[in-house]
Amino acid sequence: MDSRRADRIATTVFWAVGLITLGILLFIILEIFGRGLITALSPSFFAGKPEAREAGGGIWPMIASSVYLAVLTMLISLPIAVGAAIYLAEFSREGRLNRFIRFCLDSLSTLPSIVFGIFGMTIFVIKFRWSYCLLAGACTLALLTLPILLRSTEESLRQVPLTYREASMSLGASRWTTVRKVVMPTAMPGIISGTILPVGRIMGEAAAIIYTTGLFVRTIPKSPFDPAAPLAGYIWYAQTEAMVPDYRRIVNGGAAMLLILVFLINFAARRLAKYYSKRKSLGG
Amino acid sequence: MKRISNAAASPRTGKPPLFARAALLIAVLLLVSLPAACSIRGAGVVRIAGSTTLLPLVQDGADRFMDMRGDRTVLVQGGGSSVGIAQLKEGIVDIANSSRELKPDEDDGRLMDHRIALDVIAIVVNPGVGVDNLTREQVKGIFTGAIANWREVGGEDAPIITVVRDKASGTREMFDEIALDKEDSVASAIECNSNGIVRQTVASTPNSLGYVSIGYADASIRAIKYDGVAPGTESAKDGSYPLSRYLHMFTSGEPREAAREFIDYVLSEEFQTEVVSQEYIPVIGL
Amino acid sequence: MARERYIKVLLFACASLSFLAILLIFLFIFRESLPAITKGGFPNLFLSATWDPDKGRYGMLAFLNGTILTTLGGLVLGAPLGIGTAIFLDQVAPRRMGNIIRRGVELLAGIPSVVIGWFGLTILVPFIARVTNSAGYGIGAASVVLAVMVLPTITTLSAETLRSLPPELKEASVSMGATRWQTIRGVLLPAGREGILVAVILGMGRAIGETMAVQMVVGNSRQLTFSLTRGTGTLTSRIVTDMGEATGVFRSALFAQALVLLILAMLLIISIRLITRQKER
Repeated sequence: MDSRRADRIATTVFWAVGLITLGILLFIILEIFGRGLITALSPSFFAGKPEAREAGGGIWPMIASSVYLAVLTMLISLPIAVGAAIYLAEFSREGRLNRFIRFCLDSLSTLPSIVFGIFGMTIFVIKFRWSYCLLAGACTLALLTLPILLRSTEESLRQVPLTYREASMSLGASRWTTVRKVVMPTAMPGIISGTILPVGRIMGEAAAIIYTTGLFVRTIPKSPFDPAAPLAGYIWYAQTEAMVPDYRRIVNGGAAMLLILVFLINFAARRLAKYYSKRKSLGG
Repeated sequence: MKRISNAAASPRTGKPPLFARAALLIAVLLLVSLPAACSIRGAGVVRIAGSTTLLPLVQDGADRFMDMRGDRTVLVQGGGSSVGIAQLKEGIVDIANSSRELKPDEDDGRLMDHRIALDVIAIVVNPGVGVDNLTREQVKGIFTGAIANWREVGGEDAPIITVVRDKASGTREMFDEIALDKEDSVASAIECNSNGIVRQTVASTPNSLGYVSIGYADASIRAIKYDGVAPGTESAKDGSYPLSRYLHMFTSGEPREAAREFIDYVLSEEFQTEVVSQEYIPVIGL
Repeated sequence: MARERYIKVLLFACASLSFLAILLIFLFIFRESLPAITKGGFPNLFLSATWDPDKGRYGMLAFLNGTILTTLGGLVLGAPLGIGTAIFLDQVAPRRMGNIIRRGVELLAGIPSVVIGWFGLTILVPFIARVTNSAGYGIGAASVVLAVMVLPTITTLSAETLRSLPPELKEASVSMGATRWQTIRGVLLPAGREGILVAVILGMGRAIGETMAVQMVVGNSRQLTFSLTRGTGTLTSRIVTDMGEATGVFRSALFAQALVLLILAMLLIISIRLITRQKER
């Protein structure tokens, strides 16, 4: 098989793969929006309060809870993940301890979210006596996303070419200055893009927050110590235990709303990443 | 030694280190929330957690109670009966919702049982199934695997797909004890961990049958008669329909003031006849 | 210079905090599963397929089997699709289409597992039931659901890896007259191997640990089976189904399953690393 034929076959294969993926995406997204978009956009739904047993409830406190939770979780886990990643990638010696830490992180990422939930409940809700609250959920989710955040940040850092660092250090910059002024800005777009997946995961996580944050709360949380009911958990609740006769409407509308939220957050994150890479190219 | 300037907040990059900013933000948030956190722990707050089966009912009670008493706050969460009871014993919550009785190793002698409703369990089938009634022996045979085809009980020639609750569920415990004489469900039975999932599974799987709280039986599934008796309030009350169990609120010893008031409200005639009777059987009439 | 030291200590603290957190969780699982191992006995737990908590039988082999098969199924379907899509996005796709797919994949990552499970339950399972004349639940349905869930992770991370490969690599290859496929196969894939491997490992991690979605479509039965269409259970689905209400030794047995899950993941990761290290030589 000559190389041109191989190339054409390969191209066809890749097109097929891309189209299959596109097909899956379209199918799921269109299904969700088809079933729930109208509900999600109706003000009585997205701005209303949930009902315990009557039909016609809304999800506004849930939306606020989800956003609050995502922000809080990232505030906790991002600095730690980035800090640890910088340490592992730039400051420590590449050796067995490092490999072991990475190995532990990878293994940890496979744990079912419900185990994190029980762990979080045992430590934060019970031992620390915080009771059900956003902070317990945020800490738990921070643990959940730590492995993937750390690893993807580290990958972004590693992909900065060695020559950049060498050039900087050869000009007399200290290690930290090199990291701060050369490596970080270069890796920043990748780091920010790396947060998009975990944020999506946080918004969609139900099992971990059922045991730590709450399941059905009608008020908007005002402090991290308030209980809250993020949207994903509420959708789960509507599917499994809710007695309201319009539970299907809530599930479909909630799913559509969640998709909208994730889309908005992803959009914002990507804007931020672009802004950073522009600054970098302008010599920042 | 020559060094590239690195003032803490150089106007070029414009930001202090990432973690310093974040730490500051967290500290500010926590400080701001401290007064709020203290208020949540006030005397007028009742904390409840436990079975998600009771969640809609107790939440409704909480909403009405809070409407009546502006100075009281009732927070209801889920997690499961076991979780609720464990948290009750730790002192994290005031009341534990439970859809089952206490287990021997949970009973520390101090837990008080308040029964708030009677829950009727209906046997349900997929709408496509043509069977209307099953005798006690037939039900037992089906769920233990002795009877495997609808043909054997008067239906079409199709394998029966059994749907049950999870092992630790109070519903299942009651069902296994009363309907199955403590025998085990067949190994191929599909286990679901909530009423809603049983409902969805039976609704979308042809030739399936399962059991749910009667409050969850909607148009997507069909409740059938058990030994000739249809599930309902009257038949459960007079004992002709045996599949029922109590719903509990546990407290550690005597509940303190706000919790006591809430329990009294839940057991009040008004709440029982208006709300509980919608999907369950009020306890006050028993 | 002192400032540099201070920063280094701070960073080390972050790394240690991460490490400590990991350690804590490991210890937690280990401690919680101890009662089951001591009271239930090792063979009862790990060498038996009989799951009957009432009678003290906690054999988890059926679920271990379920986890392994569903994870493999999910990866067999999802990894080629994910890596292939990543290559498609980086090399083949026209700009606009590539962007649409990228946004779509990121969006997919945010769909809660409960919603994907809901779809699985209401669309996929009836479909499989019709096509194979069975109940529809089982390893087949779970594999498809898992493939959909790991797709975003594998695609995004692989695409990111490919994107950050030095452009000189591609240019050099093309300037030597290589076709696109030759460039992909001979240059890009080997160069991006490490990053793609991380993508697959993290995707596999997601597959092994996925709870809600799998639970709704795998059937949650107690029987051990290799069939794609007979209901069975996985370690995670078992944990999710029972954890809420279980107490005592039963609960501890569930934690033992989580422990097995962890060990399984570790073994898989080690073996993947070993295989690729061998290939390098």
